[in-house]
Formats: sequence, C-alpha cells, structure tokens
Amino acid sequence: MEIDRLLLILATLAFAGGLVHAMVAIKAGTWKKSSWHLLPMVTGFILQTAFLYLRGQDVGRCPLTNLFEVLIFICWSIVLLYFLVGSTYRLSLLGVFTAPLVGSIQIIGLVLPIDRAPSSELASRPVNSILELHAAISLIAYAAFALACTTGVMYLLQERLLKKHRIGGLFYQLPPIQGLARAIQRLALLGFVLLSAGLGLSFGLDASASNPKLIFAWLVWGLYALICFFMWRHVLSPRQTAWLAVIGFALPFFSLWIVT
Amino acid sequence: MPDDHSSPEPKLACIGLNYRTTPVEVRERIAFAEAHLPGALESVRELPGIGEGVVLSTCNRVEIYAAHDLDDPQAGHEALRRYLVDHFQLSPGEAEALVLYHLDHEEAARHLFRVVSGLDSMVLGETEIFGQVKQAYKTAHENGATRRSLNKLFQHAFRVGKRVRNETAIQRGSTSVGSVAVDLAEKVHDLRECRVMLVGAGEMSRTCAQSLMSRGASSVIVSNRSHERAVELAAEMGGQAIRFDEWESRLAEVDVLISSTSAPHFVIKTDAIEAVMKERRWRPLLVIDIAVPRDVEPTVNEVEGVYLYDIDALQAIADEGRRERERQLSLCEQIIEEHLEKFGFVPFSPRPQGDQLPA
Repeated sequence: MEIDRLLLILATLAFAGGLVHAMVAIKAGTWKKSSWHLLPMVTGFILQTAFLYLRGQDVGRCPLTNLFEVLIFICWSIVLLYFLVGSTYRLSLLGVFTAPLVGSIQIIGLVLPIDRAPSSELASRPVNSILELHAAISLIAYAAFALACTTGVMYLLQERLLKKHRIGGLFYQLPPIQGLARAIQRLALLGFVLLSAGLGLSFGLDASASNPKLIFAWLVWGLYALICFFMWRHVLSPRQTAWLAVIGFALPFFSLWIVT
Repeated sequence: MPDDHSSPEPKLACIGLNYRTTPVEVRERIAFAEAHLPGALESVRELPGIGEGVVLSTCNRVEIYAAHDLDDPQAGHEALRRYLVDHFQLSPGEAEALVLYHLDHEEAARHLFRVVSGLDSMVLGETEIFGQVKQAYKTAHENGATRRSLNKLFQHAFRVGKRVRNETAIQRGSTSVGSVAVDLAEKVHDLRECRVMLVGAGEMSRTCAQSLMSRGASSVIVSNRSHERAVELAAEMGGQAIRFDEWESRLAEVDVLISSTSAPHFVIKTDAIEAVMKERRWRPLLVIDIAVPRDVEPTVNEVEGVYLYDIDALQAIADEGRRERERQLSLCEQIIEEHLEKFGFVPFSPRPQGDQLPA
C-alpha cells in the first residue's frame, strides 16, 4: 500500500476514534469540554496534511487532480475551519459532528475507485497558479458550506430537544441554539465570500463559459447568495435557514461527483 | 502529637450534625463563625489525646474531624462532644437534646469521601461542598491543626471528589425548578445577553429570576397587577418595574418570559406571541409558565422560535434530574470503596441503598 493512502487511513481512524470516545462519554454522561477532545482532530489533521504534501510532491502540483484528491482536500479544509470556528464560537461539540462527516467522506474516497492517476495530458500541462488558487479557494468555500451543514444538524437537533422537552445528555452538551444559528449564518457567509473570490479568479482563466465545473460552481454560488440574502433580510426563521444549510450542501457535494 | 513514623498510627474520628439529624434552629446555634475557626481548631488540638483537627461548618452541617491516639474511641468522641457543648455554651437541656453522629476510623473516612463527593448533601451531587471542605482543610492546615493523618485523609478525599465528579454523571441535570429554568435559558441564549421579564411577582417566579440573575442574566423587568409589589421585587433584583398593561409592548425586548399571575384564564395568547416574534426578527424566546391555572396558551409552543415550559414540564425535568443522580449513586459508592481500600482499609461489603445517614 502506498504510504500516502496509509496516512489517510490512519487519519480516518483518528477521527473515528475521537467520535467513538465522544459518543461513549455522552452516553455515560461524562463528556466534558476539554482540550483533549482536540487530540484526534489534531492527529487526523496532521496526517491529512502529510497526505496532501506527499501527493503534491508526487503530482508536482496542488493535489486536486482527481475526485479522490478533491474530496480529501475538502476534508482537510473542513478540519482547518473547524479549528478556527470551534475556538471562535466555542462550539465544543462541533468536533463530534465534524468527525463523522470527514471520516465518511474519506472512507468513500478510499473505497471507491476514484483515485486515478492524472492523464498524461494533465501531467504534461504546466502549473497554472491562478487555476490552482481558484480551485483551492473554491474548495475551502465548500468546506465552509459543509461546516454550515454540520452546524445546521446541531441546530435542528437542539431545537427539537427544546421543543419536545427532551432534556437529556445530548441537550446539555449542545451549544445554545442562538449561538448555533449565528454560526450557520457566519459559516454560510464565509463560504459565500470565499466562493465569490474563487469564482472571481476564474475570470482570469482561459475557461469556456460552458465548462460544467464553472456552471455548477455558479449554481452553488447562486444558491448560497440566496441563502445569505434571506438571512440578511430575516426572511426565513433560523430553523428554515438550518434546513437550507443542511439540504443546500447536497448541491456542492453532488456537483463535485458530476463534474470531477 | 509528634509526627513520628514509629509511633502507632493515629485513629480517625468524626462527630457532627447535619440537615438530616438536626433542625435549622439548632444548626444555626451550633455553627462556627469563620473568624472563630482558628481558635476552635486550637481548642480541638489541645483536647487530651487529640493531635489534629479540621472543623467543617456550613449551613447544612457542622463536623469535626480529628486524629487521636486514644485507646478508647468513645473517649475521643466524648471529648469532642464536650468541647461543642462548652464552646456553644449549651444548657443541660440543649446538650441532652443534641443529636450527633460519631464515626470511627474507616467510617469517618468513608463519610468524608461521601461528603466531599456531594453524596451526603441535601441536593445530591452538588459541588459547593467540595469547595467548602477544601476551605475548611486549608484553614486547619494554615493554623497548624493538621499533620500526617488528616493531611493524607483530606488529600485523598479531594482525589475521590474529583474522580466522582469526572467519572460519573452525579452532577448532571437539574434537580429544582429554578435550576431547570437556568439550564433551559442557557441552551436558548448566551446568559450574559439574556433579558428576563416577570409577569406576576409570585415566589416561584422570583426564585427562577434570581437563579437566572445569579448566573449572569443581564437584566430583569417586573410587571405585576399590584405595581407596588412589582417595584419592590424589581428593587430587590436590581431590575425595572413596569405597569401590568405595559408588559406586552415590552415583550420584544426580552429573551426569557416567566409568567406566574393568578389569572383564571390564559394571559399570554398565541396571536400576541406570533406578532412579537416578527418584531424580534426570529430571536428565540423562552417562555416559562409557572402559574396554576396556566397563563400561557399551550399552542404558543408551536410558534417558530418559541419554547414553552409549564410547571409540570419543569417539574418532570427536575424529577428526572434527581432520578438520574440517584442512578449514579452505586457507581459513586464503588469509587469511594476503591479509594478506601487504597487508603488502607479492608474491602467493605456495600451497604444497602438509602442508608446514607451515619449512625
């Protein structure tokens, strides 16, 4: 087995280990806020970074040459944003919800035959730094949408627990719903701004307007522009916004499968 | 008592009274003022055969832990009891009526481990007692009233307290209506930004509002049919009083609404709340209805962003919290027995549940 794939398997195990530990502790009622919960996420992130570094060395460019690499790059961006967002909004349990998302995407990437070697045409093409920057920023934007989706799930869960008066273990561990609602808004906005920047760079590329990747990227941009507008004008309730953040993520996620 | 390793190991003793054995009228008579503790510790240490002492005095208990080298443990208990009677100048009748528990060595250690873990507290699993025991030990240590035996015992007790807190769910959940209200408010808003409104100034709503304010809620507005009562309660909590006909117009400003009027019909209707939510731009609203008959139309809970809890819902959550803590008891006792063994006592057969009161 190649060393880079091994690193990725270890990263997936780190996320899974963190998730199992957290679930057991929540069930037993002994889960507490602690910086130790970051350990599996930090370990997984270091291993992901090592994977991307080795792949970058191997392909001689930003490792976004196939769907597998794109998925792993998104996972890496999700964990990166988790570190930034987690400390800013104190969403202590976000890691528990992020780990399964990242772990699942990585498993899909590892299991499916999508890790194909770049074509000779692509391998011989000179590195275009604007194209790489455009792709990297756009994928980090998708990672922000993924975190908005995760936070949306947390919001919907906490909202349901509050409405149904189910005050138990998970209720005590989830953050206040108002904080979650704000986090969804900020993450969706962050993703929208990043995607706008990424798509802005595409104007400097020699890309055809009918390029399916760009068409889907603009569709995603349009969807999140609409979500951000609704949030700004308070058209939708936080619950509806959370649903939109959760369901809306399906578009960027599946568009990657279609176009990559 | 010299700290000599070759001398026989001192024995532990504990005498005390608590909320189970003694009514508050007597407890307040026997309580040690903080300023008198150094003197009390010195007196305990000077009792014949007793070389170390820690005095724990809280609103729910007064206990003296001591290490002695007396052959007859009863003599140690008797000396401590006499000291209490003399110190508080109890009349012969009061001394006769004084009910104290006397615990020796292993039982004294077990009792301290249970106390520090919150298992002997009025509210099972409460954590304040941990700090109180720590303070009592610190005072004794600083005044030279503890040596090897009690230092070892108390350090071990703090380890037990931490383990119980970290490895069990004994502190999980709320056990009173007031603390349930705080927990709910904390899961809807950041409490520091939380504004509270009381509609009706009953005792229960006052308790809930005080719990919220003590945990950091930013402000409180009080509205009551008797404006004088609203002014009085607002002054007590550092809040603002408004007239009863104004509360609806101020509802958009607040995050938690606690209602406890004596009206025989619904005071807070769904239409009014729906209108307010638009004005609030979807900022969530927690509505706590502790009135009987209820003040708030039950369909208010169906309004987007509104979370309604009536007295039955609050009570059910508090009851579940108590049951959850009780379910953790055997796990806590297991940790305590493990530590007693580590401390040098032989394994003890678990005692039946519910027998928490020392003999």
